[in-house]
Parts: sequence; C-alpha cells; structure tokens
Amino acid sequence: MVKIWDFIKNHLIPIIAVVVVAIGVAFVGASHKETTAKAGRTPIVFWHEMGGPAEQALDKMVDNFNQSQSKYEVIPQYEGAYDEAVQKIIQSHGTSASPALFQSFDISTAQMMHSKYTTPVQKFIDEDHYDTSDISPVARSFYSNKGQQLAMPFNTSQPVLYYNATLLKKYGITPPSKSPSYSEISRVAKELYEKSHHKVKGMTMEIYGWLLEEALANDKTKLINNGDGHQGNPTKINVNNPNTVKFLKWIRTNIKSGDFVNYGSGASAETNEIAAFLADKLGIFVQSSAYIGQLTTGNKNKLGISYFPHPDGTKANGVGIGGAALWISNDKPEKVQKGAFEFIKYAESAKNQANWQVATGYLALNKNSQKQKALQNLYKKIPAARVPGEQLASAKPNNANSGILMEGMQLTRELEETAMETVYNGGNIDGALTTANKAMNANLTTTNRADKK
Amino acid sequence: MLKSPASDSTSAPINRAETKAKIEASEKAFSLNAKDKYYALLFLGPSLLILGIFIFYPMFKTLYLSLFLTNTVGKPTVFVGLSNYINLLTSADYLNSLAVTMVYVLAVTALTIALGLLLASLASKKIAGIGFFRTLFSSTMGVSVSVAAIFWLFIFNPSTGFLSLISTWLHLPAIGWLTDPTWAMVAVIITTVWMNLGFTFLILFGAIQSVPTTLYEAASIEGASSRFQFFHITIPSISPTLFFVSIVTLIDGFKSFGLIDLMTKGGPTNATNMLVYRIYKDAFYSGNFAQASAEALILTVIIALFTLLQFKVLEKRVNY
Repeated sequence: MVKIWDFIKNHLIPIIAVVVVAIGVAFVGASHKETTAKAGRTPIVFWHEMGGPAEQALDKMVDNFNQSQSKYEVIPQYEGAYDEAVQKIIQSHGTSASPALFQSFDISTAQMMHSKYTTPVQKFIDEDHYDTSDISPVARSFYSNKGQQLAMPFNTSQPVLYYNATLLKKYGITPPSKSPSYSEISRVAKELYEKSHHKVKGMTMEIYGWLLEEALANDKTKLINNGDGHQGNPTKINVNNPNTVKFLKWIRTNIKSGDFVNYGSGASAETNEIAAFLADKLGIFVQSSAYIGQLTTGNKNKLGISYFPHPDGTKANGVGIGGAALWISNDKPEKVQKGAFEFIKYAESAKNQANWQVATGYLALNKNSQKQKALQNLYKKIPAARVPGEQLASAKPNNANSGILMEGMQLTRELEETAMETVYNGGNIDGALTTANKAMNANLTTTNRADKK
Repeated sequence: MLKSPASDSTSAPINRAETKAKIEASEKAFSLNAKDKYYALLFLGPSLLILGIFIFYPMFKTLYLSLFLTNTVGKPTVFVGLSNYINLLTSADYLNSLAVTMVYVLAVTALTIALGLLLASLASKKIAGIGFFRTLFSSTMGVSVSVAAIFWLFIFNPSTGFLSLISTWLHLPAIGWLTDPTWAMVAVIITTVWMNLGFTFLILFGAIQSVPTTLYEAASIEGASSRFQFFHITIPSISPTLFFVSIVTLIDGFKSFGLIDLMTKGGPTNATNMLVYRIYKDAFYSGNFAQASAEALILTVIIALFTLLQFKVLEKRVNY
C-alpha cells in the first residue's frame, strides 16, 4: 500500500498535474485572445446572434460606441442561432468565459428571468433616471414582469402581411386594406389564383408557432393563464380555444379552395416562400418585418405591406413583437454591468435605432427615430416600409399582446407547429389541438415541478 | 504456475517447501516489480485520465441526470427514479420517433447496400471509358452533409425545384416533398442513400476487384451463367466487406443528424424526428437535460443491441 502511495505521490500526480495544466493553459489561451481590451478600458464581452448584414451593422454600432468614449470597450462575439445561444449563456454563467452583456430572443424571457443569472435593467434605469418613455411601450412590456424591466428590447420585428402590388394591379384586384380581415385576404388570394389561371398561388402562412401566437394576440386571446404569465407563474395552457380554431379554419378554407401553398416550417420554408414571391408564383404571405430588405432589393415589382390580419367582426388588438433583447449578466463586477448599460442606452438612441432599421429591417424602437434623416430617406424610396413601424406604434400593450411569459416556450412552439402541420396536411383541427394541449400542459407541470414553483 | 519435472521424484516435505519456493518464484516472475508498475501507469495514466474525463464522467453524469428532473439552468432538482424512462416509453410521440428511426435506418441500409453492390458490379465490367464511371460513382464521397442537403433542397423546392418542374411538364400532381409527412421521409432517405453511395461503392468495388479471377474462369468453363457467378462467387467472396459496410451504414443511420437538421428539422408532424435529433432538440432547444439523458441512454442500448445482433447473426453467414 505504502509503495503504491509513494508511486502515486512521486510520479502519477506530477504527470496528471502536467496534463491538467497543459489543458488548462490551452483553454485559457484560447479564451483570452478575444476578451482583452485596450489599456485603461473595461472590457465588456457582448454575445449576440446576429449574422449576415445585421452582424455588420451591429459591429459598426459597437465600433462607434467604443470611439465615442474611453471608459469601456464592448467586444462583440457572434454565438450562432438564438435557440442554441440560450443554453450557452446559461451553462457558461459564473465562469470567466461568460458574457457581461448578451442578446437573447423573445421566447427565452421567462427562462432568463427564472435563472436569476441577470441583473434586471430596471436597476440601472432607476439609478441613471433614464427616460424609457421614448422606447416603444409594446416592446418594453414584452421584456418586463410586474412593472420591472428585465431586459431592454433591441432588435424588434413584427409579423406583417406582404403582397405583390404589381401583380394585383395587373389582374385588376383591389389590394387588401391597411388592417385586413381574414375574409379580405381570402378574397384577394382566391381572385389572384383564379384570374391568373392558377399560375400564381394566392397565399401562404408558414408553419411557425410565432405566427399562431400572433394571431391569438391580435384576437385578444391569452394562450396561458395568469395573464399570459405577466401576473404570475402560469399553471395552465389553453391552445384549444375557439380563436385558434378560427385561425386554423381560415387557413383550411384557403387550402381547400386551392389558392394556398404550404412551404412547411423552418428556414427552408422562409427561403422558399420568398423565392416564390419574388418569382411571381405567390401573391401574399405573412412574415417578419425583418425581411423587408430582402424583399425590396432586386424586386422588380412594387411591394405592398399591410398589418397582420384579424378575424372578421373584431377589431385588431395589435400584435406582439418578435426579435431579441439585451440582458446584463449578474456574474460580473458592478463597473462592468454599468458599462453594459451604457452601451444599451447608446444602442437605443434615436439615431442608432434609425440606422439599425435602415440596415437590417428590424424596427426602430425609439419614437424619435421617425424624424431621423436615414429613416425618412428609406420611406421616400420604399413607401410601404412605413407600415410595420406604424403597426408597432399603434399597438396598445395589454397582457395578450405582450408576449407569453412562460418557461419552455421552445417546446410549446414545436407542439404548436406539429398541430399546424397536422391541420395543413388535412388532419382534424380539434384533434390536433387537443393532442398539442395535452403535451403542452404535461410539459408545463414537469417544468413547474422541476423549478419548485 | 510452472511445474518442474524434478519435483515428482523428491520426498514429500522437501517437495512441499521446494514447490512453495517455486510458486513464489514463478509468481514473482509474472508479477510486476516497481519499475514495471511505473511504466504501466506512465503509459496507461494519460489515456485513463482522458477517458475518465471525456468518456466515463459524462456517461455516469448522463445516467445520473436521467433519474432527475432538471430546472431552468439544467441542474437536477427532483429525484424521479425511472419515471423519465417510463414517460418516454409510454408516450406516443417517442414511440413514433423510435418507429421512424427504424424505418429510416433499415431503408437506408438496405438501399445503400443494394445500389452500392449494383454500381460496384457494373463498374467492374471491363469496357471502354469505365474509369470515368468509377470516378462518377464514388464522387459523392467528397460531398459534405451541408452541401448535399442544400443541393437536394433545391431539387425538392415546391415552386422552382427540378422535380416540381418535371411533374408540371408531365402534368403529374405536385408532390410536397418536404411538407408531406410520407414524402418527407422518402426525401430524406433518398438524400442519405445518395450521400452514402460513394463510400459504399468504393469499398464494395475494391472487394469485388480482389476476388481471384481464376474462380470465374473455372466457373465459365463449367458453363455457369454470370448471374450464377455473381450469387455464388462474388457475394460469398465479398461477404466480410458486406458485413462491414452494413454495420457502418446502420450505425451511421442511427447517428444521422446534419441532414435532418438542414432538411426537415424533424418535421412535418415529427415524421422525420429521429432519436438523435430528438435528443439534441430536447437538450439544446428545450433545455430538458433530464429527458434528453434518458433518451441518450435508450439509444445507446438500441445501438448496442443492433451491433450485437449483427455480429451474432451475420457473422455465421460470413465466409472468411
């Protein structure tokens, strides 16, 4: 025994130590490269999920911030898609690799709130006497709980209805009104399909839980109890309600009359519907306002935009937002957290929000952005680009259109999409929604039990 | 223990002492001295350490997590015993995933082997310009998953895709290749088989080339048809390779992830939601690490069973 111990002490431990140190050095070396700031500045590591043109615009905004002052240096790091970034942020919390400031998407709000890994921005708003009244109320309410601002909305979009105005004119069809009803859209879609001799499909609606949730928001319907989670932790989900049925029945009617085309779900569905729209094979589709840039560059036709459709006989309640917010981690020193908030304030300014909308298609949140020259120029060039901003400004926040504050929204959305797929492929509406509802509630019960709520 | 031939002839007491000494000596000869132990641990230590950190620790952690519920931040909070497993194995959703995975894996393996064998036997014919076809048949080996997925997504596109253009031209009803649950599975199988074909072709072609030509010559003299030669000479001779390819394709089928993620994301209506893709979704989308751990362990058992089955059943028929 003694001999073995000696052996372990004299030989094995040094070997293990060397291996561990070598691995450690490799890790530290790798992570250190990206997180050092210029001398005298406090580094603020900023994780985001903006790719493509949006990443370039964001990097420019960060550069300008770093040049505008000498106390902090924001270091942006791209972390891939929204869904996966959530787990990266949560699992790296408390380590030296974690970010000081991060972007996290709409449906992760309750998860971030329950994790208790962030400092609610309300603290810094109060300390700085920062006036938030210029920032869109419906966007702010999405990321707040019981009057406390948890995070600041950043890149914000809303679903809108796009239509090919040139094509409608060609066939002599009256375009939809600014805030159209379900039947109005059905009429336009059907006319386009018939008058083009079935060459152009009338409409599509991507199999996307977000769009189903927005249809409910616009119909003033809450998906879950306790005011869609804004008045307390939710305990019950009711997706099988008359208004979900109304929405799905509307789509079913269009599928039956042949004017509706199904592109499925996910990124490929979005690519396909845009490709078809630009190739004059599709007249109408509902999608995020963030696609406006892609739909105007290289489009020989006039683009028409209207609000998200609402059921017949009711007034539109206004849709909630999509996109993501900026959060401040609470595992960094006070000084770093303050610096992170300085950047948030900079990003929310009228000028930056205006430039952001022009570059990305995400909506300017600051109401003073509308007076900015960059945005005025955009509206002059593309008059329809004004519509999403107007829809955002017109929505009065209430529980139904302030997002669903519930943990496990990713799974809920998947189940919504499965139900939509069933209905689109001819399945029974009530059956699909009953199945979804049962699975959603079982998941919510487990989540609440695991969280001890 | 080494037995000395001399020990039999000596008297009992001496014999016993001598034997004891011999046993000790022989034990000593086979036991490790300090220096040997040092070298043994020196060489084994690093790999044991790395295996421990990256294989055994995650394995036990997965087992541990699968017996709990995990909260928002992925920490185990409530011990639930085997109920994660029971819930999974009684949920229609999970059983559906199991079923579609089986359909996918078996279809992919069977089609890959059948088509690979067909191409390999065609390519082994000695005709002019065969070199070009040999290169062509193995070309999908150089195609990455993402490229293959994007390539086939273009073909399957419902408005502008190649297949939709053909069906319009022939006045056939349009197929929702990636939006109809049945066809989505077909589309994914086609893409996977297409991707697998290059590697399978190359391996089987190599095996066919190494079958001695004398066997065929002898058969020809006997007057055996080329079909008879294929089934009675080629197949038995390449059976070890067929065995190898079938295992590799089967296990690869179970692990298929990139293609599903890029083409269907498990949809529509979970028609292509394979076991591996489910684990990923449950862990990294929904943050349900407990359930994902249970699913991972079930998958491990399934793959182990299949591999065992293949070794037991197929090995008997393999002509080494």
